[in-house]
Amino acid sequence: MAGRFVVSAASVADLQRVAAAARELAGADGRVEAVALQGDGGLAPAGAAAEQVAAALGGLADALVVYDGAGAWLRGDVWAACLLDALGDGADGLFVADAPAAREAAGRVAAARGASCASMCDAVTRGADGLVATRSIYGGVADGSISLPLAPAVCLFAAGKYEGEASGAAPAVERRRAPAPAYQAEWVAEEPVVKTVDLAAAPVVVSVGRGFAKAEDIELVKPLLERLGAELGCSRPIAEDFKWLPQERQVGLTGVTVSPGLYVALGISGQVQHLAGIKGARVVVSVNNDARAPITRNADYVVVGDLYKVVPELVAALS
Amino acid sequence: MRILVIAKHVVDSTEIRWDEARGEVLLRNLPTKISDYDRNALEAAVVIKEGGDLVDLDVLMVGGEPALKTLKEALAMGADKGYLVDGGWDDPFDPLRTACVLAQVVGGLEEPDVILGGLVSEDGYNGISGPALAQLLDWPYVAPVLEIEAGDGWVQAVLDGGDVRRTVKVPTPCVVGVDSQMNVPRLPTVLQVMKVKSDRTVKVPLGDADTSATTTLVGAKSGAVERRKIVLDGSPQESAAKLVESLRQEGVL
Repeated sequence: MAGRFVVSAASVADLQRVAAAARELAGADGRVEAVALQGDGGLAPAGAAAEQVAAALGGLADALVVYDGAGAWLRGDVWAACLLDALGDGADGLFVADAPAAREAAGRVAAARGASCASMCDAVTRGADGLVATRSIYGGVADGSISLPLAPAVCLFAAGKYEGEASGAAPAVERRRAPAPAYQAEWVAEEPVVKTVDLAAAPVVVSVGRGFAKAEDIELVKPLLERLGAELGCSRPIAEDFKWLPQERQVGLTGVTVSPGLYVALGISGQVQHLAGIKGARVVVSVNNDARAPITRNADYVVVGDLYKVVPELVAALS
Repeated sequence: MRILVIAKHVVDSTEIRWDEARGEVLLRNLPTKISDYDRNALEAAVVIKEGGDLVDLDVLMVGGEPALKTLKEALAMGADKGYLVDGGWDDPFDPLRTACVLAQVVGGLEEPDVILGGLVSEDGYNGISGPALAQLLDWPYVAPVLEIEAGDGWVQAVLDGGDVRRTVKVPTPCVVGVDSQMNVPRLPTVLQVMKVKSDRTVKVPLGDADTSATTTLVGAKSGAVERRKIVLDGSPQESAAKLVESLRQEGVL
């Protein structure tokens, strides 16, 4: 085993996860080095001072390299420049937790190093020829094994697949100066996005799909949400095409990945991209008037019927 | 202004199935199309073209002869000229190789001010080709872009930063990753696609681009989670009662 791995992430919890993944491959003899960016405050991980980051990495990482002067916001190109510097002569793998700026950072590093790269990795193991990543392909139809022969294997990890907890002494912190950006980007404005729901953590999720004829009809689901203590989710067309619900409620590969105890799909056909987002659900229920919809083959309990009639009956039965 | 949209030729992901008997993904004889996310990029480019005075809007696609129909679909959406890279391949999961080919080909074209692409592709979902291309060209990369405005020598974009919406301005030339939330792409009719004249498509040679694989798909298994498929029939009232009873027994109520 052994080997050298460099890890980085946009949040402390994610950094612990990717460090845990690297630790598993590096073993006790190998070396795991974490990279953090600081600018006007903590950037990667966000909002964390170097000491806090180091404390969270006890037992997980052997060193923490902090790049100061990385700017006012997390830029993918600056992140990439720091990672390239940290990689130095080379490493077996560069593990980064998936996030928008992380994709730019990973893509740039892989291109600059002529390396192999895969995103949305669920797991990474050692293969005959370098590392092998397991990830969803064709929108969730299959789980593919992707061989990454060119070091450093740049892997972007999907959220929440690894768990990492600090144990033991914090690694030593080395401070370096972030490389200057290759171009000037002007910060024009920034407004906070108010998140009203955390679907990923909800114990019960009821999602609506194209079986609903108009936006107002979603009101029908409100009493059901109350009875079940559920959060409201939706399929892609409801958020993206019709814009009846905000993006934060979209369940699926390009939306939120959920893992509730109970998932109720109302009028959702069950495209693979949607199914990929509910893999972690314990019990899946479908109410759909089309018996041939893919969701009926991918649910535990199937009610073939008119949701406009079934939902009120469900509410009554739960009362 | 010169805009180039990089669009991927893909197998329609809604038609792809896992073949349990053969233990493989069924891809043969399936319809092909522009990757959905690149449609968003094309739509964004067409809107810029419609709003500005002088915009050349071209599309670049990899995929060889079979991609010609897909390229015409892109042209029917409102692009001027379509470049088809001569010599495609079957592996859709190698974003670095794609980026190397795109960088090589872009280097041989009249330099665009902006390259637009979807944030991910609907088969690979890597989201890596865009930033890798930006790196190889040594250009800025902005993504995931929710709104865009392009001017002389600059692009201003609203980015989805998770818990913030951030507006930044970067110099051109640059690569832009369009978020699918940005717009609803227009769908050209079959007739519009048929009417696209062949002289609007140009084959461009691979040249000496490095096309060696950087990743290989070495295995696959079904991505589906096995579910019980218990059908609760009867009237709406009866099936609702059965469902509630079953869920109580499962302990999820």
